[in-house]
This record gives sequence, C-alpha cells and structure tokens, in this order.
Amino acid sequence: MLHQPGLVLSDGVSIDDLINRDMNEVSMRVMSDEELYRHEMERIFAKTWLLLGHESEIPKSGDFIVRDMGEDNVLIARDRAGQINVSLNVCPHRGMRVCTAEAGNAQMHRCIYHGWAFRPDGSFIGAPIEKEQMHGDKRSKEELGLKKARVQLYGGLIFATFNIDGPSFDEFLGESKFYFDQLFCRTDSGLELLGPPQRFVLPCNWKIPGEQSGSDGFHTLTLHRSLMEGGVMGGTPESIYDNAPGMYGVDISCEQGHSLRCLEAAQTFKMFSNVSFEGKTLEERLNLLPPPGITKDLIPQLFKNLTPTQVEMLASCPPQVGGMFPNVLVAFIFAPRTDGGASGALALHTYVPRGPNRVEFVNYIFAERDAPENVKRDMLQNSIQQTGTSGTIEQDDADTWPAIMRNSRGAVSKTMTLKYQALTGHQKPDGWPGGGLIYPGFTKDDTQWNWWLAYYRLMTQAA
Amino acid sequence: MSDRSTAAVDKSSVLRGLVSTKRVRLGSEIYNLLLETLYDEAAALDERRFDDWAAMLGEDITYTAPVRLTRVGPNRDRDVARTMMHFDEDYNSLMMRLGRLKKTAWAEDPPSRTRRFVTNVRVAEAEAAGEYEVVSYLYLERSRGDNPDNESVTAERRDIWRKSEDGFKLARREIIVDQSVLSMSNFAIFL
Repeated sequence: MLHQPGLVLSDGVSIDDLINRDMNEVSMRVMSDEELYRHEMERIFAKTWLLLGHESEIPKSGDFIVRDMGEDNVLIARDRAGQINVSLNVCPHRGMRVCTAEAGNAQMHRCIYHGWAFRPDGSFIGAPIEKEQMHGDKRSKEELGLKKARVQLYGGLIFATFNIDGPSFDEFLGESKFYFDQLFCRTDSGLELLGPPQRFVLPCNWKIPGEQSGSDGFHTLTLHRSLMEGGVMGGTPESIYDNAPGMYGVDISCEQGHSLRCLEAAQTFKMFSNVSFEGKTLEERLNLLPPPGITKDLIPQLFKNLTPTQVEMLASCPPQVGGMFPNVLVAFIFAPRTDGGASGALALHTYVPRGPNRVEFVNYIFAERDAPENVKRDMLQNSIQQTGTSGTIEQDDADTWPAIMRNSRGAVSKTMTLKYQALTGHQKPDGWPGGGLIYPGFTKDDTQWNWWLAYYRLMTQAA
Repeated sequence: MSDRSTAAVDKSSVLRGLVSTKRVRLGSEIYNLLLETLYDEAAALDERRFDDWAAMLGEDITYTAPVRLTRVGPNRDRDVARTMMHFDEDYNSLMMRLGRLKKTAWAEDPPSRTRRFVTNVRVAEAEAAGEYEVVSYLYLERSRGDNPDNESVTAERRDIWRKSEDGFKLARREIIVDQSVLSMSNFAIFL
C-alpha cells in the first residue's frame, strides 16, 4: 500500500492526530489553527471546484461580478462571445485589484494604479503610452493577461477552480449529480438569482459552518427549536424529542463529501395538511405537494428535464437541505406561510474564509425563472425571513458558530474532540433509485463524517 | 418587472433621504412629536419592550433593508440594490419574529444589550394627510454575552409615520445600511 504524503504541522502534530479515523473524532484545534488554515487555502481552496454565483447575475456581454475563491479575489465576466470567464482580480503588473467594484458592465477593465487594461476574458489589451511599451519586452502580451481559472456551469451555477489539470467537474460531483440535478437542472429555463447575494461576516472559522452543511440534521431539533414551535416540522414543542417526524428521511452523500437530506413527501404532506398520499399517482402526488420552488404549471417540465426515477424521487423523497464540499450549503425547503402560501424557499450559501478566525456568509436566493412574479416575490420573502442575515432559522446558527471557535483556542479545550459516532452505516433501501452512500432513517453523523474524510483526503495531498 | 441581475443598475438605486419637499421645520410641534416618537421607539427596542414596539406599528407596514452593492464610474452612486434585502417584512412577518422572541430564539437568549442612537432627523409632509416622511440616521451598538467586542451597524432610515388617535404609527421603514458586507453576525434585532 502506498504511503500517503500526509500532513505534519510544525509542532509535530499530524493530520492523523487531528482527524482520528478509527474513532470518528476531530480535534477542536482544527477549528482555529492558523497553520492548518494556510494549508487549507492551498490544498482545498486552490484545488477544488468552488461556487461563485449564477449566470443570471451577468446576462449581458461585459456584465461582471467580483467574488472570492478562498482569499483569492476573482473577476467573473461575460465576454462578447457570451462565455463566462473567471480571472484572478490581481493586476499582473503591480498586484492592484483590477476591478474595484462588486458588479457592473465593462468591455475593458483598466487598473486604476498604472492603467494596464484587460478584456472581460482576462486577456491583456495594453498599458498606457503604447509607443513606450510599458509592459516591457521580456514577456509577450499573451503572457500578461489576468490569471484564468477553469470554469464550469452547472444548472447555471458558476463553478471555478485554479486546479487547471485537476479532476473534472463531473468527478467532483460524483454520484451526487443524480440528486443535485433534481434541484438545479429540472426546468426549461432553470433558476434565476432574485438579486445580489446578502453578505455578512462572522467571527468563526469557515469549517464550523462548513461541516454543518455536510447535512447536520440533528441540530435542527434543538438549535432550531423555534421551527417546531412554529409547527412547521411536525410535532409540538412539548413532544419534539419524542415525536420528530421531520428528522426522519434518507441522507445521501458520496466520497467527495457532498450530501443531501431527502425527506419523505408523504410525511411532509401529512404534517402540512393531514391528507394521505396513499393510492395517488405520481402526477397526483406532485400536484398535491409540488417540490419546493416548483409551481403546478412547472410540473410537466420536470418530466422533460429529469429521468423518470429522478421525478419519482422529487415526488416521493425530495432532497431539501445539504451541502457541497467544501463550503456550500443547500436549502431548497418547504416554507409554509402564516398567510397560507407554501411556495418554498431556495437558497444556497457559500462560507468564504477570511482568515482563520473569520468567515463571510454569502446568501444566494433563487426562484425558478419561469415561476410567476407573485411566486418569486413570495419566495424572496420566505428566504429572507428564514435564511441569511435576518433569517429566523440561521440567526441561531450565526450565534452558535463563533462560540465553538472561541472554545477551540484554549490550551485544554483545543485537545477536546468533535464526535461523529452516531452512525447508520451505508444501507441502500430496496428499490432506491440513486447511487452514492445512503443512510435511511433518523438523520445521523454519517454524512458529516464523509465531509471530514473528503477534507482529510485533500489535506493529505501535497499542494 | 425589474432586472434582477446583479450587474444591472436599478434606476431607483440612487434614491435616498426625503422625497417630499414640504419640509416640517426643526423645532416645530410636529417635528418635536415625531422626534419624541423615534426616541420612544428606540427605548422600547433597547429595553426589549416588544409589545410597546408592536403597538407603534401600522398594520399595513412595510419594513425593508436593501443590500448595498459597490459600483464605480457613472453608476458609482447607484449603490442601493432594492432587488435584494436583509429584511423584507410586513405586519404578519414582524409579528412572527416578535412571537419567536417570546419563545425559543437562541440568537437573542441571552438577549443582546443594544443602544440605538437616532440623529440627523429630517421631516417632511408626505402625500397623504396626516402622514410624514421622517429620515433619520441610526447608529446601533450591540453587546452579546461576555464578549467585550461590540458589533455595530450604521444606517439611514426612511420612514413614513402616520398620525393616529394614540400617537404616530410606523407605516413604512426602509433601512439603508452602510455596509455591503455586514460586520454584524445576524439581524436578530430590529433597526
């Protein structure tokens, strides 16, 4: 067996000491260690595919947005040919940010420092005073463009990586594609971002929200008790620990570390309206309870864009919350409203590292582009009221994560471990339509442990 | 339909401050009453007397906080993006939020200690009789638990207050925060 190159920190502690694969424990030191953080930037954020936004943000030639890949600031721009380019927002001349806006439209990005200018595709146009050739003669103009990342669109979502020869996007998604397709690739016109993302920073390490996005379903029961009190999870505040129907379902994940919690529609429907699904056809069931974000008018499009087994799964056990390794949270959830509506909330978050002790929470709020205006309006409100800055669900997360990080710095506390020992083990139910690692029943720690194994795998590959 | 794309520029995005030109002078009776109302409101929220705050809200209230988006060049001042908000509330959703605070809301249990400073108040008569545009600056400091580092937020608030039998009711509030990336870890509080 080949010996892994591994990772040993300067004080002699190895990644195997920090991530105990026999015990399924992670040392708390991991949640604030600065040396480890520097390795993460190189071995994870410069190596794997990262979510940067959605193509509906930049529909026109020259449209651009500025985002971050780890701590690397990038310009995401649509060129005249309609292609989306992701380039490092670092002037190859003297290192200034070429683009100082967060969004806009430009066919030329001129650095405000010395005036070097670039096209939306990152290529170098030239420096001022052409006859003096201020870019010198040692490098050709072709060499002096902005450093470009590999770009992949998936359901309109913009992913990029600076790992030019690394795994393909399909390899990155692995067997989770079957499930993510049901969320991102199910309608003719696809998703639309409803406005620029909400952005805010939290005093905590990116991995605290990161590992939670590995489908930590269990915390919902206690941290998000207000959901039970609001009656949207089934059960009552008095009975939440005895009767928690929203905690049961099928968790799926894969060795790449992505995961989703799929919740039984029959159960959800019973919680909302107390009508049985029994004996109903696929179409009848979809019409009774369309998946979050899908209107009845959009149901025929599901059959067109997905395979029959994918539609069956959306109707019977739709994926709703989860994440993509390393830093994406997915929340495509039912959102019953006090005024009787239930059009759902579709949100993705990225947790962008801003140093070992800080993370930027970026909240992207979506609707299906072909949904009617009133549904989009309703969904925007649902998402804002439940997720992100003021969301009543995620307020509680934002208050918890920083406290975990503060605990990870104590000389004694940092040697404590995070435990992922409540395990179901991979067991595919009879007739389960998809691949990957499958964990039916009460939501447990398996998917989050897979997140850590994916972390371990990348961290032990030399940068 | 508005163009929701992040790159697009919303023509209303430059809109700030008062719209009405019918100014209500500083020191006039109406001005003083509205200023007192803003102070009372800040005290109710700082002292967590949420029922008192709720009693100040009109049942047709809209309560929003658009995001900011940094732009350069000719559109540099169009940096309020009203397609996306930090708050997008009506009366029912505000009541839902207040109801949650009375039950389990760890984000405010233990509660934040807040201090709202309301200044630079400008008032004008709105179109409807008995309604006033009130623009104010808000500076809010928030202390959580035993953390010695406060979080803060600064904003412009564009309100409409409506005269009623028992004082003024808030009919509209738009909170224009100054940060494009907020340094406050959540808005479990009201602005």
